[in-house]
Amino acid sequence: MDKPKILIVDDDPILRRGLNLRLRANDYETAYAIDGVSAIAAAQKERPDLIILDLGLPAGDGFSVMERLQQNANLANIPVIVLTAWDSLPSRVRCLNAGAAVFFQKPVDSGKLLGAIRTTLLYSN
Amino acid sequence: MSGRPTQVLLIEDNPGDADFVRLRLGECNSDLQVTHADRLATGLAALALDPPAVVLLDLNLPDSRGAETFRNVLNQAPGVPVVILSAHYDEELAATAVHQGVQEYLVKGAFDVKQLERAVRFAIERQGLLTALDMNRKQQLLYKDQFLSHVSHELRTPLTCAHQFVTIVLDGIAGPISPEQRDHLETALGSINQVNTMIGSLLDCARTESGKMRIEPRCVVIGNVVQQAAAMMQATAKAKQISLEVSVDSRILLASADPHRILQILMNLIDNATKFTPPEGSVRVKAAPFETDPAFICISVADSGRGIRPEAKALIFERLYQDSQGIESNRKGLGLGLNIVQELVRLHGGRIWVESQLGYGSTFSFTLPALPLSRFLFPVLTDQGHLPNSLALVRVELSSRRGLSVGHLREQCLELLQSCILPSKDLVLPPMGTSGQGETFWIVASTDQAGANVLARRVRERFGRSEEAKAGATFKVSVAAVQLPSPGIDEPLESLVQEVADVISGMVLADMGKKHRPDGEEKVCKPQLISELKRKRPKNGQTKNPDC
Repeated sequence: MDKPKILIVDDDPILRRGLNLRLRANDYETAYAIDGVSAIAAAQKERPDLIILDLGLPAGDGFSVMERLQQNANLANIPVIVLTAWDSLPSRVRCLNAGAAVFFQKPVDSGKLLGAIRTTLLYSN
Repeated sequence: MSGRPTQVLLIEDNPGDADFVRLRLGECNSDLQVTHADRLATGLAALALDPPAVVLLDLNLPDSRGAETFRNVLNQAPGVPVVILSAHYDEELAATAVHQGVQEYLVKGAFDVKQLERAVRFAIERQGLLTALDMNRKQQLLYKDQFLSHVSHELRTPLTCAHQFVTIVLDGIAGPISPEQRDHLETALGSINQVNTMIGSLLDCARTESGKMRIEPRCVVIGNVVQQAAAMMQATAKAKQISLEVSVDSRILLASADPHRILQILMNLIDNATKFTPPEGSVRVKAAPFETDPAFICISVADSGRGIRPEAKALIFERLYQDSQGIESNRKGLGLGLNIVQELVRLHGGRIWVESQLGYGSTFSFTLPALPLSRFLFPVLTDQGHLPNSLALVRVELSSRRGLSVGHLREQCLELLQSCILPSKDLVLPPMGTSGQGETFWIVASTDQAGANVLARRVRERFGRSEEAKAGATFKVSVAAVQLPSPGIDEPLESLVQEVADVISGMVLADMGKKHRPDGEEKVCKPQLISELKRKRPKNGQTKNPDC
């Protein structure tokens, strides 16, 4: 059976590398995008099962990415987990309202993140 | 000078004085246009309608005298400069006036028109400067806030990298590691987490200064938060061979509080307690109704450490204060903790204090406003002026098929439940507790069995269609009728609502008691039977138990 594919959207290459390592070690396939514009294109091309999204992106921040995902019928059902260094309280509410499935503030405990990914993927079809 | 004339409002009852100002001021400076009111009332009305650039104010008017006059004017139009024209010179009155914001105090007969005109112009200038200064200050605070947000974000990014890669090695993803390597990496990880906490503290501290620290209080079951805090601090305590115990009152303690902030407070206090307690000591966290005032809940953290010197007691809540006699003086931290804790408690409407005995230990206690279940239920139960004819309790149990934790879904589930209910008739209770894997939510619905089944169906449908269901949930929805009390003759509504609250507490507690608790926490908490609860309720006229 195909491994689930996760699209990592983050402009920081070191963070992408770290996430990539961890996700692959947990048997996920990965793809990545580095800014708001290419995030949508990548989602279209890669058709991931889940997106991990950083909020502070160049060329369109995380919120605009979420908005555009929702507007696209093919992409609206892909669950989004937001992972951001921004201060949590106001961002959290905004993200959940914008359609994110889960919100985490960096740095996040990897157990929690993997747990959230597992459960989010198990029931999305 | 610009085209538009400068408006001057003259409030003066003496016709001669008024004429002097009106005519001569205009001659002296053609840009000044004087409007005249001969009593305070009309003056205030003119101020409200069309604020002038400056007010010339006689203090003794037919409808107002002295300080009262300028106070009224200053209140009516805070940004408009005021120049007083008075018949007498009163040093004390003048000083008061200037302190309260009046720009100038002139004595009639002791000034000529040129001086008056200068006073008017300068008053307008000075007011302009004051306004600009104020806006500048507000702008500075905004910049500081933005700056700190930005800095904390920037600091967190490389910190996250460090965190990621240390955990990657620790988790064996880069190959097996030796116990010694594990030890070193865990030490590194501890420091990384410390820095992360400090960044959070910095932000909080700055926010207390600019008054921007926010809390979002809601109805919270205190026992849960206390358990959670203790669970998070267990490792730290164990590492120092300190026993960490929790003792929560057996009744359901509801408070109006922000759970994230209470967690923050407790973790801070427990962390301090472990810092100042020697190995084999103990830290005990207790939550119970506040004996002195049942409108509050009291939470305390007691340690068996070396205690706090009396001189230090007064200072420990100050920002940047640190006791130099801490057991591990190299673990100093930023010293912001108790200052932030105090502010957070204050924002909740509570108080914090410390009791200590040198050589025996210290106890930090703080209060939070209690939110008795009866008060929480009151609006919905009395929506029609009397108890509803029937009441149902809807139980929603959320769990994951494969036994994975669904704690992080709690917020979203609560929101979803909120969207299913009729706000005036139904109420979603705050989460009462987890039982390891599942979470149980409760809805109180003023409706009969049929209505409750409709609600249950709606909940099932919404869940089925939701992200939450896709994100890991099976759920069971069940409905139970709530036994309503038969009202005594003239029994007040409050007392009836209290009885219903008791019944509902009993049902919830009974359900929780049945659940298996795999967490192994040391816990002094036994659910009580309804009959016991009723027996314990005091007679009418005495202070009520907060919620049971």
